[in-house]
Amino acid sequence: MVSPVLLIAVPLGLAFLIPLVGMASRRATGLMPILACLFNLVAVVLILPAALSDAIVVRIGGFAPPFGINLYAGPLGVLFAGLIALAGLAVSIYALGYIRRGSIRRYHLLYLLLLVGANGVVLTGDVFNLFVFFEILCISSYALVGYFGDRGGLEAASKYLVQGAVGSGLLLLGIGILYGMFGTLNMADLAARIGSSGGMSVFVPLALIVSGLGVEAAIFPLNAWLPDAHSSAPSPISAILSGIAIEVGLYAVARMVMTVFGAESMMAFLMFLGAATVLAGEMCAFAQRDVKRMLAYSSIGQVGLVLFALSVFSPGSVAGGLFQLLSHTLGKGLLFLAAGYMIYRSGSRRISSLNGMASRMPITSLVFAVGALSLIGLPPFAGFASKLMIVGSVLARGGTMLTLLLGAVLVGTLIEGAYLFGVVQAIYFRKTPAGAEGGRAPVSAVVPMLLLAALIVVVGVWPGPVAEALRAAASDLMDRTAYMGGVLP
Amino acid sequence: MTLEMVLLAGFGGALLTWLLGKVSARLRNGLAVLLALGMFVAVCLMHGQSFQRLLPLGFMGLRLSVRMNMLSWLFAVLILGTGLLSVIFSLRYMRGRSRLDYYYFTLLLINAAMLGTVVAGDLLTFFICWELVSWSTVLLISLKGTGRAISAGLKYMVMALAGSLAMLVAILSLHARFDTLTIPRLAELLGAAPLGYVLFVTVLMSAGFLVINALWPFHGWLPDAHAEAFSPFSSVLSGVLVRKGLYGLYLLVYVLLGTGLLQRLAWGALSYLNVMAWIGAITVVFAAFRALVQDDSKRILAWSTVGQGGYMVLASSLATELGVAGGVFHFLNYCLLSALLFFVAGAVEHRTGGTRDLNALGGLMRRMPVAFTGAMAGVMGVIGVPLTNGFVSKWIIYKSLLSEGRPFLAFAAFLGTWGTILYGYKFLHNIFLGRLPDRFAEVRRVPFTMALPILVLTALVLVFGVLPGIPLSAVSAAGVSMGFGSLGLSVWGITTDTGTLNVVNLLAAIVAGVFAVWALWRGLGRSVRVDQDDSYAAGMAVPRQRYNFTADFYGPLRRIIGPWAGDAADALLVGLARRTALVSDAFRKLYTGYVGSYVLYILLFLAALIFVQITWSPWL
Amino acid sequence: MSFLESNVYYMGALGLVLVGLLVILVRHNLIKMIIGLSIMDTGVNLFLVAVGYSRGGTAPIFSRAASDPAAMVDPVPQALVLTAIVIGVAVLALALAMAVRLHGHHGTLDMRKIRELRW
Repeated sequence: MVSPVLLIAVPLGLAFLIPLVGMASRRATGLMPILACLFNLVAVVLILPAALSDAIVVRIGGFAPPFGINLYAGPLGVLFAGLIALAGLAVSIYALGYIRRGSIRRYHLLYLLLLVGANGVVLTGDVFNLFVFFEILCISSYALVGYFGDRGGLEAASKYLVQGAVGSGLLLLGIGILYGMFGTLNMADLAARIGSSGGMSVFVPLALIVSGLGVEAAIFPLNAWLPDAHSSAPSPISAILSGIAIEVGLYAVARMVMTVFGAESMMAFLMFLGAATVLAGEMCAFAQRDVKRMLAYSSIGQVGLVLFALSVFSPGSVAGGLFQLLSHTLGKGLLFLAAGYMIYRSGSRRISSLNGMASRMPITSLVFAVGALSLIGLPPFAGFASKLMIVGSVLARGGTMLTLLLGAVLVGTLIEGAYLFGVVQAIYFRKTPAGAEGGRAPVSAVVPMLLLAALIVVVGVWPGPVAEALRAAASDLMDRTAYMGGVLP
Repeated sequence: MTLEMVLLAGFGGALLTWLLGKVSARLRNGLAVLLALGMFVAVCLMHGQSFQRLLPLGFMGLRLSVRMNMLSWLFAVLILGTGLLSVIFSLRYMRGRSRLDYYYFTLLLINAAMLGTVVAGDLLTFFICWELVSWSTVLLISLKGTGRAISAGLKYMVMALAGSLAMLVAILSLHARFDTLTIPRLAELLGAAPLGYVLFVTVLMSAGFLVINALWPFHGWLPDAHAEAFSPFSSVLSGVLVRKGLYGLYLLVYVLLGTGLLQRLAWGALSYLNVMAWIGAITVVFAAFRALVQDDSKRILAWSTVGQGGYMVLASSLATELGVAGGVFHFLNYCLLSALLFFVAGAVEHRTGGTRDLNALGGLMRRMPVAFTGAMAGVMGVIGVPLTNGFVSKWIIYKSLLSEGRPFLAFAAFLGTWGTILYGYKFLHNIFLGRLPDRFAEVRRVPFTMALPILVLTALVLVFGVLPGIPLSAVSAAGVSMGFGSLGLSVWGITTDTGTLNVVNLLAAIVAGVFAVWALWRGLGRSVRVDQDDSYAAGMAVPRQRYNFTADFYGPLRRIIGPWAGDAADALLVGLARRTALVSDAFRKLYTGYVGSYVLYILLFLAALIFVQITWSPWL
Repeated sequence: MSFLESNVYYMGALGLVLVGLLVILVRHNLIKMIIGLSIMDTGVNLFLVAVGYSRGGTAPIFSRAASDPAAMVDPVPQALVLTAIVIGVAVLALALAMAVRLHGHHGTLDMRKIRELRW
């Protein structure tokens, strides 16, 4: 039995080993994230069966939960950790070949810290601990966005930092108020106490926390940093930010609103917000000429879809939302990775510069198409299964308002289909501009891309087991009593 | 071979073809033909079978299943037959082009997925195959790589996606309500469902089917897509791919809803079937006039596809055995005819160096006799001249319209036929008749692998025209599987309560007529062969090359109908798309680039949350 | 004790947060925005300390015999604040480093002029 603590501790330890390893060999530093992700992947596989049947609660330092910090490795957290390890693995292999400029050691160190932060957020059972891991995630992503120190990257990073810092200030304020009111920071304990009170005094911290976490989760009016940061970051970082960082933010929002506050009355509002986010993201992406910026806006749309599905708040739709989250991680990660090398070879981020890429970079183009089709939600790719699950469960829930909102969301999907297909067409069918440079992507890029593409197809063809696991995760998110009972004896 | 094995072979074989293409082009072509042939034969042999069984495959807790009855069989055979001929035609047509692995892979994938659509035993299988067809089609439409091909593909994709999203909502809401998607089970359960709900599902699903069947007002994608696709694929697209929408309509209207429920879906004169019939009628008339003003050989055919689809829906919406038989039979006939005509257009395009402009062609009759024969038979069939198959189905359609007492609909159908005669003749004349332009003086004959499909189809058109009983027995059986009575058939024709069609009599009349004309011509004819220069230039020596009989064909007519033949429905949809683009472009300006305003958004969001809570306290 | 008196720390803390946010909103210079962030952080930290503060309380050291548990200040917020300060400093340092580099690229720190990424 592997302790879930290791999911955080081992990557953290390896992260701090990087400077030491770097003294011996600069190239070896790149192996550390791979090592950490592999370890996490194996650990998740070992932990998952136990976690699926019964959540594992780890008491750090041996203090009983309301007093000490505890980790809560339920189905949701462990699955999330698995997803982080998987996406992290793909991206870290990709980065071996891609990141050649700047201080490679620092890049890998920051990257690994980002993963540590993400793992911490999804596993922790303590609100302040959540804040700390969140800050680890955020600070390393600020730094990574501006990693190349170029004009666009720095501008995006500093704007991201200002917004992120305001958000985390609000979050901390909310946590402080919660502590002042209830004298505890443990999520389960808070949940138990909040259940007995209510009204305005609980609402203020809730509003602060939703706004604070919402910045990282890219909920509609709070997401202005995202298109800049995702499009200007180095491509592997774009992939991990789109594939992991926003998802983790969304996880935190869902965990706080659903489990800790149990604010079911707020779900209708979040549903509207989700639909608005879908439309906002897709509409902004529609007219983009810059492929990475388009993908970034599309991430906003996808996050909106996940938020919409989660806040419909039926077991099926929450599981569907988590499934969408999974397929977005795989699909968008793949798209950013593929676009990364296309941009690298063509030297421009304009979509028109990708014209005719299929003849120059066949594999990269193929996986790009797979990712795009999956995001649009076409069979036999993962996105189809998740779209099916979401639409089906929303309709099962019924209601005119909900059906109309679903219609709005599907219009968003349609817009997404239009622009993503436009890019796929450009890559496959438009004529290569004269004098275009090309050259295939290196093995270090092809391997992770094929890995993700294969996963998309496999999950798309056999979604059953994934859907089952996600149903367990959904009940982990929705069932407050079980959560409290699991942590507080 | 079981149906499951055919499907597996279809999907697996498509992939194998792609892989084999990396090794050898010859092997790939061989495999493609063999695969298409094998699937065709295997499905042909399933004639008369009727079953519904589960596949050993599940998807999200639902078992996929297949079903087979005569309706599915008829569609499946036509799909695979057209697929086979189009693969054979492609061998030569596509030679020397790039990305053939990809081309054959997609063509075979579409073939297999279309088969899956019509033999699906539950709506989930149906939808999965439907979507597979949708996205792989766009990859073939745009393959040519011109700007127009790409925008045509995109237009198709957006419209198909919109349609299938509507369908998805309908299908999943059925699942949510009845917890099953198996077709026979749903058909039982829907009978007891509230009418409003049935209407909701019906409208959404019909929208999806109308888009793919390219009926007005959702026809906009089809002319662009057909004109831009490679000709062998155009014939698949026009003959069978759009008709999966027709299959869907049959499935929805007659299998799932059934006539009992259909009668309840009516509010006075405004009934579901009436609306469908009128959509069909509008499509018939509108498409005929649009076809008249086209100058591109494939665009004429594309509009013809739209119009003939209108006939099918018009006839099928009568919900009588004769009407449905007319719809199904017209589908069968037009599948052969449109495949034939697109092959002809493709052959001409192939031999004339890609010319499709009807103002520039002409006089190819002697240079390309096979193509001319095909075009002749095809145009005759589309018009509905006796002794071609199109005559029989149009006869049935008119008959059913008149005997049901729908004079206005019948008038629309006639109007459409008059338009068809005009544009059919334009197609025939402007390519094959008149003067041969000098630059085409050395055009070679149609190569064998392209002539073969044309000849096979020509033969079928004539055989089915003379012996309509053969295909009609399958059509009648398909009608029976949709719950209608069987038709009174003989090999030579069809007997109904109000009249009989017997091709033998017709044949006799025609032979007599031809003989009479011939006799008159022989007896009274005092004709002198006059060179065209003589008659036209009246002595002035105008160089031959200056004559052009094809330019501005129907010019005066076009000037009259031109203002009326605008495509308002398409313009509306395109305008909507443009408007969306403009609105989203304006919306984008919200992201000003100034970080202060972003922080302001965050604070405004927080303030709004708190304001709402203080004012209405909806939360907690 | 009046309301004002008992809540003076909270008010001060929230006041600082608002001042910080105001600075971020009305100033266009990145450095000044960062100063605003820092003020806001200070406000939040002060709030956290104020949560655990009790007037006239003693240090929470249980080994001292004479101590009365009820009179002790809550130690948890102080631990939190220490962490939060560390995080705040890290963000501040990163922000300032970026500001320096940004100035190198653009020659200005006026965020109204640094708007290459938008829409």
